[in-house]
Amino acid sequence: MGILDFFKPVSTWPPDRVRQFLDEKSPQEYNLVDVRTPKEYEQEHLPGARLIPVAELETRWKELDRNKPTITY
Amino acid sequence: MRSRAAAAVLAREGFEEVYSMEGGIHAWKGLRATGAPDAGMAYFEPARKPEELIALAWMLEEGSRKFYKEMGTKEKIPGAVDLFQELSGDEEKHKSSLFKIYQRISRKASDPGFPRSLVSLETGDDYLEGGMGLKEVLEWSRGKELKDILEFSISLEANAIDLYIKMERRIEGTEAKEVFLALSNQERNHLKRLSAALENS
Repeated sequence: MGILDFFKPVSTWPPDRVRQFLDEKSPQEYNLVDVRTPKEYEQEHLPGARLIPVAELETRWKELDRNKPTITY
Repeated sequence: MRSRAAAAVLAREGFEEVYSMEGGIHAWKGLRATGAPDAGMAYFEPARKPEELIALAWMLEEGSRKFYKEMGTKEKIPGAVDLFQELSGDEEKHKSSLFKIYQRISRKASDPGFPRSLVSLETGDDYLEGGMGLKEVLEWSRGKELKDILEFSISLEANAIDLYIKMERRIEGTEAKEVFLALSNQERNHLKRLSAALENS
């Protein structure tokens, strides 16, 4: 056992996979979450993304339906 | 990197399917960003003894403390020297809180094996969240801009909060629970300050 045994990989999708998923589904079927700062969101964001900065996620995750597939960026 | 930390938080809260988009919005646009070192790993909750979790947390605090201390000496990022020095000081206090809880739980006043023998590590390297080596991270930080350093620090704090919330749920005893709750609140405060600094950078 070593320190890495305390961690597990987070699932990731390459952008192509995300794009394909968003094309196939309707917005009601998933959560797309922009976790950057409001300023970064204002500059540019993916269409339909909901802004929840990572600093606020601990309290605001309840705004999302956890039964839906969720993509963060 | 922030996105992975966020995905880990949502997974902890019971979201069934969570994916972090690789490379973030830069990758989406077909541009390449110079990313932070990224182990792509989040804290995992298998059956662990409380002593092991405390030792892990202590080691990660030590890694963060050294990272912030180093960032606090950077002349290149004068705007954030005070912030990083304060963060470094706070992580030192967190280490003592953790050791006190360890003393109580293990019923040992001192323990030369703490923390490394509990997480099966030889002497030597320091680690940060996700099992990243401190050396590797410091190497990466050379020549980076404040924005990159802040984004990386935000990910560290988001992961630390995640770890403390899980520990608070896991550990027995009101007093230990209070310590972990306090630690998670203090790291949340760090997260807010770093985010504000990023917003203003």
